[in-house]
Amino acid sequence: MPRRQLVHLLGIVILSVLASVMTVVWGNEPLLGLDLQGGVSVRLVATEPATEEMLDQTVSIIRDRVDGLGVAEPEISRTETGVLVSLPGVDDQERALSLVGTTAELRFRPVCAVTTTARVETAASGSWSGAYAMCSDVGSGVVVPAVGSDGYTDPEDDLADHFVVLGLRGDDSGQRYLLGPSVLTGEAIADANPLFIDYQWQVGLDLHQGRVGVDGFNEVAARCYMGDPSCPRIGGSANGRLAIVLDGQVVTAPSIRAPEFRHDAILISGGFEKAEADDVSLSLRYGALPVELEPENTRVVSATIGEDSLRAGVVAGLVGLLLVAVFIVSYYRILGLVALFSLAISGALLWAIVAHLGTQSGLALTLAGVTGMIVAVGVSVDSNVVYFEHLKEDVRDGRTARSSVDRAFPIAFSTIVKADLASLIGAGLLWALTVGAVRGFALYLGLATILDLVATYFFMGPMVRLLATTRWFAEHPKRFGLPASGAVPVRRAGTSAEVGA
Amino acid sequence: MKTLAALYRGESPVDFPSLWRPAATASLVAVLLGLLSFTVLGLNLGLDFEGGTSYEVRAPDASVADVRELMADLGAPEARIQLVDDDLVLVRSDVQDPARAAEIRDGLTAGLGPVVAFEQVGPTWGDEVTDKAVTALIVFFIVVAMYIAVRLEWKMAVGGLVAVAHDIVLSVGVYSVFRFEITPATVIAFLTIMGYSLYDTIVVYDKVREIVGRLGATERYTYPELMNLALNRVAMRSINTSVTSAIPVLSMLLVGSVIMGAATLREFAVALLVGIVVGSYSSLFLASSLVSVLKEREERWSLIGTKVRGRTADGATTGTRTIERSDAVGTETRATPRRAPGGGPAKRRPTMTAPASGGVPPRPRKKKR
Repeated sequence: MPRRQLVHLLGIVILSVLASVMTVVWGNEPLLGLDLQGGVSVRLVATEPATEEMLDQTVSIIRDRVDGLGVAEPEISRTETGVLVSLPGVDDQERALSLVGTTAELRFRPVCAVTTTARVETAASGSWSGAYAMCSDVGSGVVVPAVGSDGYTDPEDDLADHFVVLGLRGDDSGQRYLLGPSVLTGEAIADANPLFIDYQWQVGLDLHQGRVGVDGFNEVAARCYMGDPSCPRIGGSANGRLAIVLDGQVVTAPSIRAPEFRHDAILISGGFEKAEADDVSLSLRYGALPVELEPENTRVVSATIGEDSLRAGVVAGLVGLLLVAVFIVSYYRILGLVALFSLAISGALLWAIVAHLGTQSGLALTLAGVTGMIVAVGVSVDSNVVYFEHLKEDVRDGRTARSSVDRAFPIAFSTIVKADLASLIGAGLLWALTVGAVRGFALYLGLATILDLVATYFFMGPMVRLLATTRWFAEHPKRFGLPASGAVPVRRAGTSAEVGA
Repeated sequence: MKTLAALYRGESPVDFPSLWRPAATASLVAVLLGLLSFTVLGLNLGLDFEGGTSYEVRAPDASVADVRELMADLGAPEARIQLVDDDLVLVRSDVQDPARAAEIRDGLTAGLGPVVAFEQVGPTWGDEVTDKAVTALIVFFIVVAMYIAVRLEWKMAVGGLVAVAHDIVLSVGVYSVFRFEITPATVIAFLTIMGYSLYDTIVVYDKVREIVGRLGATERYTYPELMNLALNRVAMRSINTSVTSAIPVLSMLLVGSVIMGAATLREFAVALLVGIVVGSYSSLFLASSLVSVLKEREERWSLIGTKVRGRTADGATTGTRTIERSDAVGTETRATPRRAPGGGPAKRRPTMTAPASGGVPPRPRKKKR
């Protein structure tokens, strides 16, 4: 028993125990996919060809919306033609579907006030009547904006012709913007681009010509520049501010520094970082969602169905494992036990990896993944079978059990590597070339195959060699599922010669 | 059973080459039937490939007639209705429009019970998935062929791919004949079958290569004879692996689907079971015979073949000669001279001039470390 082997053996055992312990200590748990814990998944397809940039923008907007739902691990990703939204474990499925599907409107709203205190008022009506909505109407109590329990207007009350209270995007300092009714929509915008002017990043805005465009804009701009009651001066500033609102959040709220603008010469400056300027101009350019999306594929799985599937998968896996254990131990005896330990080691490592991926990277374990792992059990056991059968064959060929152990392992391992590599190639291709469930399956099959190689090389091989050094092994080959003949070469030689003669 | 016991003891009880012809005929017939069914009956494509909507409604007391009436009221009389596990109703319709699908969903919730699972699939989704799967399949075949050609040899790549293709055609054929529904899970199952089949074939080929490498140089055996030895030696492993692979799948079928009622698992398990059985069969009978036929055409092996057949021409043996264990061992370690004069089991080959080896087994190696 060379020292290296012993090191391998101890190393892998310690590693898998450590991995299991750390998984428990860190509280890593596999993240269950939609089909195992229930939830909503929608595949949206753009109604017209969309660029990658547009789809990326769509993804980040949907992510913002979904964040409010309290889903632990929302998966929102770009596909070739649209967006895939997967919300495992979401409680309010109806709301999730409507949030993802609707396309919100970009609105220009005058800023009436900016406060940090929450004014919680229920039974409210934010509607108003008259030519221009006067901010003073809110102060005097004529109009009361609808506000939810958190002090902001709820998404369903965020109506174009109502006063609303909204927060600034990406700002959690608790600032609240009391905003007047919408005066212009995103339709007015022709283009928006980040520009580097006067040593700072700004956003250049182009508007369309006409009423829904620069004319409409200038009408508001004039009032804000003057500090008209419909767009008052706030906090001692010289001009009123006009907020650009998207998806219930203020994107930016610049002061209006001129009474009239040319349609292609509007600059928004606000000490932006480059990323912020990019972000703002993307929002302005594309409005709510840069592309119109249509649900192509909707799946809703209730939590109970998901749990049932999970339970069925787990029970089936355990029963299968138990039967495999019975079979392998009754066939290979002590070598069978080695095979089971080897399986346990690759199982422990797989569990640790799955749990880690689930907790750290949000990679969900789906029913397809579970089946991939059940399938991998067969492949893992096979590595042992290949070696043990080789061992038996060598012993029958007249070698002693001990010498067979040393000789058979490299040959068997090379077979295992060849076959496992083919499996890995398959898994890799599936991962790269397919979508959805097949990918999950490929990932877990590939992982299990690699771990099988690891467990075979570092545990099963050295373990059998360790056993082979014992007297017990030489004296009782039957207990190891090996034929007796090879272990007693002298007698066999005698009988063989008689036959030959 | 007797054969199994002999296999377990490591004898070579099966004359594989004599089975190749019947096996090839059977496979050909099966493949043709599969293809015929595929072209005539086609496949029973599931929701994900055809587009449409499905609802699973929890409604313990509902009857199919009730549900049909309700669906007709909702404007979808063509819906297929199925009762699952006493308290679940599965409703399928062709409705592809998301808005209509949502309407029907609300109608079902109001009139029947809570909709526990809902799926709506647009018409193009299936095509996309199929395209991807076909691309993946083609690339898979090319890459794997190259892999086998490099690691083993190109004739084995041909044999391996024919075996894999055979298994896929048969599995798809079973789905076509029995009208099982093709779902994404089924596609995964087919891919797994390919994996199994290939894995099995490579293990068999590696054994063949090992045996040919050891005994081929003696030029005393034809390629099919060497192949026969390799197959007999690898057969027990194939059986064991099939059993250990089939056990979890069987448990998936019985425990997962019959007892606990998870439909996805059931379909998956059926396809896998077919694949495991067919995969082991094809690597032992098809993949090997094809390589054997290809190798026999090589000059070297055809020469050896004629020579050996010439020797046995007096008709002492029919079929494949079995390579005795002592022969298989004897030539292996050429360095040690241990040919017992006049010994060796020459009984089955009376015409051979010099028996290969005596019955003396290799000396047990001293333990070095």
